[in-house]
Amino acid sequence: MSLENLLGNWSQYRKGHEEGGFHDYKHLWGMAIDLDICIGCNACATACYAENNLAVVGKERFEKGQAMHWLRLERYWDQNELDHPAQGASFLPMMCQQCDAATCEPVCPVAATYHTPDGLNAQVYNRCIGSRYCSNNCPYRNRYFNFYSYYEDSWPEPLNMQLNPDLTVRDKGVMEKCTFCVQRIRVAKDNAKMENRPVADGEAMTACAQACPTNAIVFGDYMDKDSQVAKLWKKHQVKLRLTKQNKENPELRGYRIFEELNVDPSVMYLERVREEV
Amino acid sequence: MSGKIDRRNFLKIMGLGGAGTALGGCDLPSTVTLEEGKEEVVSYLMPEEYVIPGVGVWYASTCAQCAAGCGIHGRVREGRVLKLEGNPDSSMNHGKICMMGQSGVQAHYNPDRIKTPMLREGGNLVAVSWEKAVGAIQEKLSAANGDQVAWFTGTLSGHQAALVSNHLEALGSRKHYIHEPINASVWQAVNKDMLGEAMPRLRLDKAQMILSFGADFLGTWISPVHFSGEYAKFRKQKRRGLLVTIEPKMSLTGANSDLWIPAIPGTEGVIALGIAHQLVKNHSKDMSSLPASVQGLINKYDAATTAKIAGIDEKRIQRIAELLVERSPSLVLAGAPVEGQAKGYASVAAVMLLNQLLGNIGQTIESQGSFPFNQLKAKTGGTSDLFSFVETAKNKQLSVVFFYGTNPKFTAPKAMEMDSALNDVPFKVAISMFMDETSMAADVVLPAASYLEDWGTHVAAYQPQQTAISMQQPLMEKLYAETRGFGDIVLDLLKVAKKDVYSAFADYYAYLKNAHAALPAEYKEAGMTDGDAWSAALQKGLVNVATGSMSLPVKPVSFGDPAPADSGGKFAYHFVPSARLGMWDGRHANLPWIQEAPDQITKVVWDSWAEIHPLTAQKLGIKNGSIINVESEHGTAKVQAVLIKAIHPDVIAIPMGQGHEEYGRYAKGRGANPLKLLNPVKEETTGELAMYATRVNASPTSQKEVVVRLGASDTQAGRRFVVTVPVEQYQRTEGA
Amino acid sequence: MAVNKQNHKSSSRLKLLLEKRHIWFAMLSIAAVLAVYPFVVMSSSSSAPEIVPPGGSHNGENVEQPIEFPHNTHVKDNGINCMYCHTYARRSKVAGIPPTSKCMGCHKVIATDKPRIQKLTEYWEQKSPPPWKKVHDVPDFVHFTHEKHLKRFVFDQDFPVENVKEVCAFCHGDVENMTVAHKVKPLNMGWCKTCHINNGGPGDCWACHK
Repeated sequence: MSLENLLGNWSQYRKGHEEGGFHDYKHLWGMAIDLDICIGCNACATACYAENNLAVVGKERFEKGQAMHWLRLERYWDQNELDHPAQGASFLPMMCQQCDAATCEPVCPVAATYHTPDGLNAQVYNRCIGSRYCSNNCPYRNRYFNFYSYYEDSWPEPLNMQLNPDLTVRDKGVMEKCTFCVQRIRVAKDNAKMENRPVADGEAMTACAQACPTNAIVFGDYMDKDSQVAKLWKKHQVKLRLTKQNKENPELRGYRIFEELNVDPSVMYLERVREEV
Repeated sequence: MSGKIDRRNFLKIMGLGGAGTALGGCDLPSTVTLEEGKEEVVSYLMPEEYVIPGVGVWYASTCAQCAAGCGIHGRVREGRVLKLEGNPDSSMNHGKICMMGQSGVQAHYNPDRIKTPMLREGGNLVAVSWEKAVGAIQEKLSAANGDQVAWFTGTLSGHQAALVSNHLEALGSRKHYIHEPINASVWQAVNKDMLGEAMPRLRLDKAQMILSFGADFLGTWISPVHFSGEYAKFRKQKRRGLLVTIEPKMSLTGANSDLWIPAIPGTEGVIALGIAHQLVKNHSKDMSSLPASVQGLINKYDAATTAKIAGIDEKRIQRIAELLVERSPSLVLAGAPVEGQAKGYASVAAVMLLNQLLGNIGQTIESQGSFPFNQLKAKTGGTSDLFSFVETAKNKQLSVVFFYGTNPKFTAPKAMEMDSALNDVPFKVAISMFMDETSMAADVVLPAASYLEDWGTHVAAYQPQQTAISMQQPLMEKLYAETRGFGDIVLDLLKVAKKDVYSAFADYYAYLKNAHAALPAEYKEAGMTDGDAWSAALQKGLVNVATGSMSLPVKPVSFGDPAPADSGGKFAYHFVPSARLGMWDGRHANLPWIQEAPDQITKVVWDSWAEIHPLTAQKLGIKNGSIINVESEHGTAKVQAVLIKAIHPDVIAIPMGQGHEEYGRYAKGRGANPLKLLNPVKEETTGELAMYATRVNASPTSQKEVVVRLGASDTQAGRRFVVTVPVEQYQRTEGA
Repeated sequence: MAVNKQNHKSSSRLKLLLEKRHIWFAMLSIAAVLAVYPFVVMSSSSSAPEIVPPGGSHNGENVEQPIEFPHNTHVKDNGINCMYCHTYARRSKVAGIPPTSKCMGCHKVIATDKPRIQKLTEYWEQKSPPPWKKVHDVPDFVHFTHEKHLKRFVFDQDFPVENVKEVCAFCHGDVENMTVAHKVKPLNMGWCKTCHINNGGPGDCWACHK
């Protein structure tokens, strides 16, 4: 396999991608988020702060767009509203979509962000040199850069005793983002392996999905056909590796954000429902 | 989302059984060091049962971040509690907790915790020993008249409530003031009169339609996590449940509605009667059993009259009535904006009347049944005790007051003169984790252990289908040796006041264990020893209680005309001190995660703001980000204006929670406290503070600042982020 | 044998990477595979067909411990199994330092006249465990678990547990001839990685980096 060959056949790789499947994935972690029962309460985002050692940056840095919320809860108003938003607000939990064809990965000059055999976009903190190319290339704006060293500001003693030892506290100059709680996945996989059994559905659970009071966020292994998440994707006839879904029943609610960009996100959203009164 | 594996087994939940675990900094993330022999490995003196270094163990306890009483699991590793999650065994919250519950660890590890007792000496609070602090208290207690001693707390339940009651009883006092700025007191009073039960069970999951008059059940009303779970079931019924909200400023519940209608606070009762009118006249609902005065009100509010007073289209009122009939059973709720008026009781009663006319009582409104342990029931409160406390204090009828779990100096309106009332109490004891405003004014401050370090039992006022006593146990050793659990502090007071009974208990743990052992036999599995049953209760985190079944006999309640009477004089706008899930009444303003979490509706962080409709702002010359003065009869708040359409044009709202003068580095000196502006108007029937009855004016200053918030765009600008589909489509694919 | 297995693994990994069009990473991986290739060949020609113990050496600092604990007396002279004291190794990511009560279990009666034991007894009576210093440390961004390594090299191999010290020695060296532990292996990434390649350990960054 020469570099010449690789570059010469690049377009073929891209085409082949539409049809086939990465059947050599043992796990492919995915999500389904039902926007009809997401109430926008922020429990998921706070659970993420608690689980993932996210720094609190304060008002001034928040203003500059330096907040480190790996999972942010966006709120939109309907565009056709007149004097009042008569149908309420639209809430959108937005975290790293763990794209299978992630735009962040190929631009990293040091391969600090790469694709794991579990279908996750990994970020290796000790390898990151802080070029921020990945962040510029993310269409979802889901990558967060440590412009400062937050250890002392964000966790004055004894707040630092809450820090989760299962993942690093990122230092200045490092890019970070949602990992689908890889440390929790790791524990689930380790436990399963120690007992020589497959990982059960629900055993690996992200902090956000765990916290969601309405169970709007469903997390699991897409490769496990009996998992709740795989069933939901199937039910809503949403398939991976397509830039445009050709559903048998186009009325089904599943969709992926920015699918048309060919980034192949692993998060499926279910459309919000409203009743005209 | 229940996993296939046995979650209990997976989590390896254990009962802690008394002893705390040693603190080990074994695996504390820190600056990277790789030098050999620089870091210490902390080993244990004795092997701790269930503790494996490097492995997290989950222990069950109860959340104390609000009074809803959700069951929690805390992940403990190397003696540190790291993360809180809901207890899946709790039918209150089914394994879920809200953002305030998640942030509990930040209260526990807060850098501004009080570490030692303090005593006022020469005008200043100085650190003293427990002996000296307790000695000072006992000296004052023995000098005081028994009935001049009072407790001033937030909602209390379980054995903590029982101990406080017993302490007062032993002293011969009946003065227990209970204050919660976010409450459902008028709702409870109406239900008590109408159904004989203050807190009936609400079956959101069975309702085909919910009409909420400002009851923010997804955010701040009674038991938000429980109701959120039930809300999901409500939406996932064969026919998707329909939610209509009528309120002055959009709450989280309003934001999730199919139809959101802005209303002037105080007109909700009229709207409810307008709907009742439609139900009786056009949908043949029977009102013959109602008192004549109520029938008169129903007759009075035809669509035209209602529309005129409430400023809502006639057709809307008729349509809502139609829907309520069509979607049966339904559920009609009333929250803080309805309660917070001079005629709050009448308004809430008018709302409850709809449930009665629609036949919802017995369908979606059920009895909680009778709870067998009277002393453990929740002692809930609202704002009426603020008035009675101030009056009693000013009459010099209070000599020693204990404060716990409430911060009246912060939450009482300025016009109530709480500051001078506190000055009139010669000796004030604050039991607190933090130096809040009330603690700063106290004569003795006792450092309380955090709820993650303490023992307790909790019986929330609102109980779901399975009533339970929720157990609270320490998840780790106390961070500061000089702090003490609340139960221990009260028990020590009782050991003096009622020595014969309480000297038998070494500590609150022993007391609770004893109380558990005294439970009737049906609360323990057959063949279990008391010790095993106690461990089982701690492991599960709750003790299920069988309640006697009861029906809800509807008693006719007569009430006056809820129509607002006052004009507001020179103040043109209705003022709403809105409640935020997260910040709550201000008690969580010292938690950085809560401060940095964007408000659900405006998405603003780290500050106070005033919400104003763009039309109103235009009229007043206010722009988004303008620093404005919001002025009431009793004060002015200087805040930033946030222009938002999710508010009635005649309303200006400032959320509660900020504006602390004390309360640690994250809260102090940040934003403005809207509660200070309120007029001290009483709700006429219950004596509660009418929190939504104040009028204000707003005027711009020359200053303008960037609104610091999440997201620059208010709309999706045509992109497909959140796609909305009509319910008909949903019914075709997922409904039935 | 091992060499074929290893080569096969490498090429399939490469294929996977190329399929995913990660051009940068793919090119770097090619370089990485080429760089480690000689190691693969060399190790495969050594004796053990299944397990290739890591090589490498490191001369660590002499760490002064609160008590000069003689590993040699315990392991060599008295034949105590490593996991008798470091009991968590098979159940957790960390092996664990034994609680002081475990030391005292024997030393209430054994060698009570020795100054080191007298010092230990002092700690015990003051109810504070000795402040042992960490000798073998990996950076905070590394996830290492004893549990899975013991599974791979001891329990999955039916390796006699009584000889576990031979497996411990892969990374900790000849502890049975040391007094206080001394770091004799580099414990750096290249060293770990070599062993992972030789013994079929995971090659994914996120297997070890957190």
